[in-house]
Amino acid sequence: MAKSNSWRQFKAILRKDLVMELRTKEMITSMGLYALLTMVVYQIALAEAGDSFDVRLVMPGLIWVAFIFMSMLGLNRSFVHEKDQGCIDALLLSPVDRPVIFFAKFAGNLLFLMVVELLSLPVFSFLFLQGREGFGNPVWLVGVVLLGASIGISGVGTLLATMTVNTKGKDVMLAVLFVPIMYPLLRAAVGATFAAVIGGPGTVQAFWLYMAWVAGFDVIMVAIAYALYEFVIGV
Amino acid sequence: MEETPRNDLAVQVRGLTRAFGVRKALNDVSFELPTGAFLSIFGPNGAGKTTLVKVLTTLLNPSKGSASVLGCDVVSEAVELRHRIGLISHNPLLYPDLTAEENLLFFAEMYGLDDPKTRVRELLGDVELDHRRLDVVSTFSRGMLQRLSIARALLHKPDVLFLDEPYSGLDPHAVDILDGLIAQIRGDHTFVMISHDLDKGLELCSHALILANGKVVLFENRDDIDVEQFRKTYRATVGTGVA
Repeated sequence: MAKSNSWRQFKAILRKDLVMELRTKEMITSMGLYALLTMVVYQIALAEAGDSFDVRLVMPGLIWVAFIFMSMLGLNRSFVHEKDQGCIDALLLSPVDRPVIFFAKFAGNLLFLMVVELLSLPVFSFLFLQGREGFGNPVWLVGVVLLGASIGISGVGTLLATMTVNTKGKDVMLAVLFVPIMYPLLRAAVGATFAAVIGGPGTVQAFWLYMAWVAGFDVIMVAIAYALYEFVIGV
Repeated sequence: MEETPRNDLAVQVRGLTRAFGVRKALNDVSFELPTGAFLSIFGPNGAGKTTLVKVLTTLLNPSKGSASVLGCDVVSEAVELRHRIGLISHNPLLYPDLTAEENLLFFAEMYGLDDPKTRVRELLGDVELDHRRLDVVSTFSRGMLQRLSIARALLHKPDVLFLDEPYSGLDPHAVDILDGLIAQIRGDHTFVMISHDLDKGLELCSHALILANGKVVLFENRDDIDVEQFRKTYRATVGTGVA
């Protein structure tokens, strides 16, 4: 009897999701288009604000509203592949520990989300910060928030997408469950992004305080998702 | 006191009940199947056939009672059992956006095969799909999908093969290939097949089971079956015996 190996299974599931996404581009295209359209809508909404309005004051909130809703599109797609032709049964029939499926799906979702976020951010900056003051603190701090918040979004999102994939109206169900749970993370991510963008005295300390909040959310939520996954995906 | 599963039995089911809410898809099902046997399961739609196979393949937990396959309990020894069973369903259970080879290599990794590439090439040859190994599965016909599904189920050389309406929608060539593969591995394997085709099911089986309303109506050794009487019993369940 062959011995299965969790690391090998993790890599196989992740590689399979990457190959399928590179081939279909369903998640990245839908998330990217959503982000782009949201930015266009934001620009129209702020068209009459005038030059005196410092868009940097609302930019962190706008970014994270776009990213939260954009991530739901991708998360919904991440399990649809598994439902096609009953693939999830074949996956569950193999001798794989359920948490391995969770971590592989989580890693894939995190990767796709980060790619779209990193592509969206320069476009966002170009549309809203052109000819205005730039970032008040080093730009890499924004990268830290993106990574920290995306871990929480992907962890909770992977669990909820697994729960809702078999439900009627799964898009609505995911949103109803996802947005309230994301509230603390969203609040901390907006605070950290605001501190990184505005700059000035005390903002670096405020940034790390918010990031501690983000990290705490990530650890707790990913641990809960890991603990519940066998029950959620199972039998 | 809980009974220890016997090693000479491929499948042992005792008082198995599976409920979905208040509805019992399986209701106190019991039977034993010796190693190397071929069981054909018949019954009307909604009789509980697929639920029974899902419980035996660890995809569903029983609500009550117990079931073991090859001496492994389907709940407490599920991971060990999954190494030893395969499932061919009317659903191909394949990723449509991966190629035939990528699909099989993925499942070979999940089962931890030592030399996945060689095994995959060998099986693609057996199911006559080696010429299409680099094509994505979404371009395959129903028959080709089912042949690839057979290769997927046999990758890890399972001891017990579960077949959920495997002949459904197959062209004659695909039927011949599936018949050939079953004949080839028949001696070393135990089979549990759900079928709506009475002739095919009786032709292949060593044991037959009729389910209706989630209950066993009949379980007999093929040699003891009076085919005419069996047909009458089967017809009596179809259309009246749904759960």
